[in-house]
Amino acid sequence: MAKNLAGDLLVASANRLTDGVVVFLDDAGEWIQRLDRAAVARDKRAGEILLERAKAEAFTVVDPYLVAVSEDDDGVLEPLSLREKIRVSGLTFDAIAADAVRYA
Amino acid sequence: MPDTHFYRYDDYDRTLVAERVEQFRDQVRRRLSGELTEEQFKPLRLTNGLYLQLHAYMLRIAIPYGTLSSRQLRKLADIARKFDRGYGHFTTRQNLQLNWIKLEDAPDALAALAEVDMHAMQTSGNVIRNVTADHFAGAAIDEIEDPRIWCEIVRQWSTLHPEFSFLPRKFKIAITGSPNDRAAVRVHDIGLRLWRNETGEVGFEVIVGGGLGRTPMIGKTLREFLPKDELLAYLEATLRVYNRYGRRDNLYKARIKILVHEVGAEKMREEVEAEYADIKDGALKLPAETIEAIARQFAPPALPHRPAVVATVEALKLEDRDFALWLKSNVSAHRLAGYRIVTASLKPAGAPPGDASSVQMEGVADIADAYSQGEIRVSHEQNLVLPHVAVEDLPVVWLALGRLGFAEANVGKITDIIACPGLDYCALANARSIPVAQRISNHFARIGLQHDIGDLKIKISGCINACGHHHVGHIGILGVDKNGVELYQISLGGDVDFGKTALGTILGPAVTADKVVEAVDALVATYLDARGEGERFVDTYRRIGVKPFKDRVYAVV
Repeated sequence: MAKNLAGDLLVASANRLTDGVVVFLDDAGEWIQRLDRAAVARDKRAGEILLERAKAEAFTVVDPYLVAVSEDDDGVLEPLSLREKIRVSGLTFDAIAADAVRYA
Repeated sequence: MPDTHFYRYDDYDRTLVAERVEQFRDQVRRRLSGELTEEQFKPLRLTNGLYLQLHAYMLRIAIPYGTLSSRQLRKLADIARKFDRGYGHFTTRQNLQLNWIKLEDAPDALAALAEVDMHAMQTSGNVIRNVTADHFAGAAIDEIEDPRIWCEIVRQWSTLHPEFSFLPRKFKIAITGSPNDRAAVRVHDIGLRLWRNETGEVGFEVIVGGGLGRTPMIGKTLREFLPKDELLAYLEATLRVYNRYGRRDNLYKARIKILVHEVGAEKMREEVEAEYADIKDGALKLPAETIEAIARQFAPPALPHRPAVVATVEALKLEDRDFALWLKSNVSAHRLAGYRIVTASLKPAGAPPGDASSVQMEGVADIADAYSQGEIRVSHEQNLVLPHVAVEDLPVVWLALGRLGFAEANVGKITDIIACPGLDYCALANARSIPVAQRISNHFARIGLQHDIGDLKIKISGCINACGHHHVGHIGILGVDKNGVELYQISLGGDVDFGKTALGTILGPAVTADKVVEAVDALVATYLDARGEGERFVDTYRRIGVKPFKDRVYAVV
């Protein structure tokens, strides 16, 4: 069951400078691709501090910002907004393959 | 390989593009090393067509007036394979977008483009963007003159134009040379329509202040007839007035359509004409030899005589229903009786509209070399066009396109959907477009059904910026975000046909994503029940109005 749906849990996200890949800031100040290892701010003040840390560590990323997430009883994080869900999951349809000739 | 029959770069163009690539290479190096901040770098990458989207950088490549040689299309396929994920998205502005480019690879991708006289300049930013044209240009039976000659003249004038490098907002120009407008000229910042006046002279109708986006407007005619050699002076005068008076205080009110709307067409005309009077006999008056030199590069290919009626084609038409339907929807009249214009549908059932893999692009290039003088066009409806196919080659072209998955007989039909990339890719979008298009496409996949429904244009945008042209769809679908839920607002009756250009009327409350197909189904059923003899969907809508459609849709969703 999800909790904290009001979005008071926050993680810092950005796009990696070299290739635009979606990344999250972890507790060690590294930008990583796994949301489940992201540093989580559990209140507004912690969120402000997290964002400041993210901006201070922004040498290898573009435009860090805070993303509201929910956390279930097993500690699994999930973004609240569809936009952020898609940033995490990737395309919601099958893109055509490079060697595709037919779609069917 | 056949010669190209359109403009080829000269040394000046090549030097300009090559220098630009090296400048950008250095800018990327400085960004990656930290010498440039993102704030400093962003305008530099954007002016080279490099956006940052949800998951990756996106490179928007300009395809001037939607015309490609087979060599260029092969190079695009190669770039997509080498630097991206092996596919690209053809857009409503006749461009190609590669959605997974790495920043460090972008200069090499641009250098590869320059090898085939292409670039990505001015595909972003507040500048004059890639000039678009009728995708049947140079081949259409109804064409008065090839509009690409004028697109090229405008391209040369507008590329890195110092006075217009910081306009209030982006600026889009479209040109058509036919009375049947296939370039949607009334919904561009400036639309130009070539026509012949009563004395037999060909000139331009100049239409200003059209556009879609959050405030859709149909352009107003500022000049009924402009002599061709005065085009650049008149454009310069119009851009100058816009640059001077266009709003810079509000992003959403900065397009020229807002200026024209606020001051009125009459006042706008006065201002432009006054400016024009000052400059019309100056350096921008085009010498005849300049026009002729560019026109020569667009000289039509010397197409050999080919028979207009071919027994084997006629026989196959009778034997094979799929071929007959394909001829009906995907094949158009050519200016020569023994030839046809073939549209390769990039909308197979359930596919992302406008996407093509590298293999498919190479396949189309091969077909173009063998059967269409090595020429390809990109349509603003996100299809590819083979402009010069002999009638007797139609069966083999049909089979070859079929092997690529591009012979769906659906051009102009309900599954020939325009869709922007939407929230799956785009940082500006509020809702997804492609999955909605796919569901509609799968639902109406039966070709016989599509032909029974007839011409029906569905256009889908994932946000109010309207890259999917939803305002001018017979059925327009706009994705909106309401408290984190994707909803889709449906409009009816939009059209870009010349003389009938209209903005759609909103049907009613937006519907949820899972109800869009049911809503479209109800709209089609209403039409099928009510249509009169020979009426298209939009004709029936115009005759009976919105209410019967609305009643039926909201009874089921």
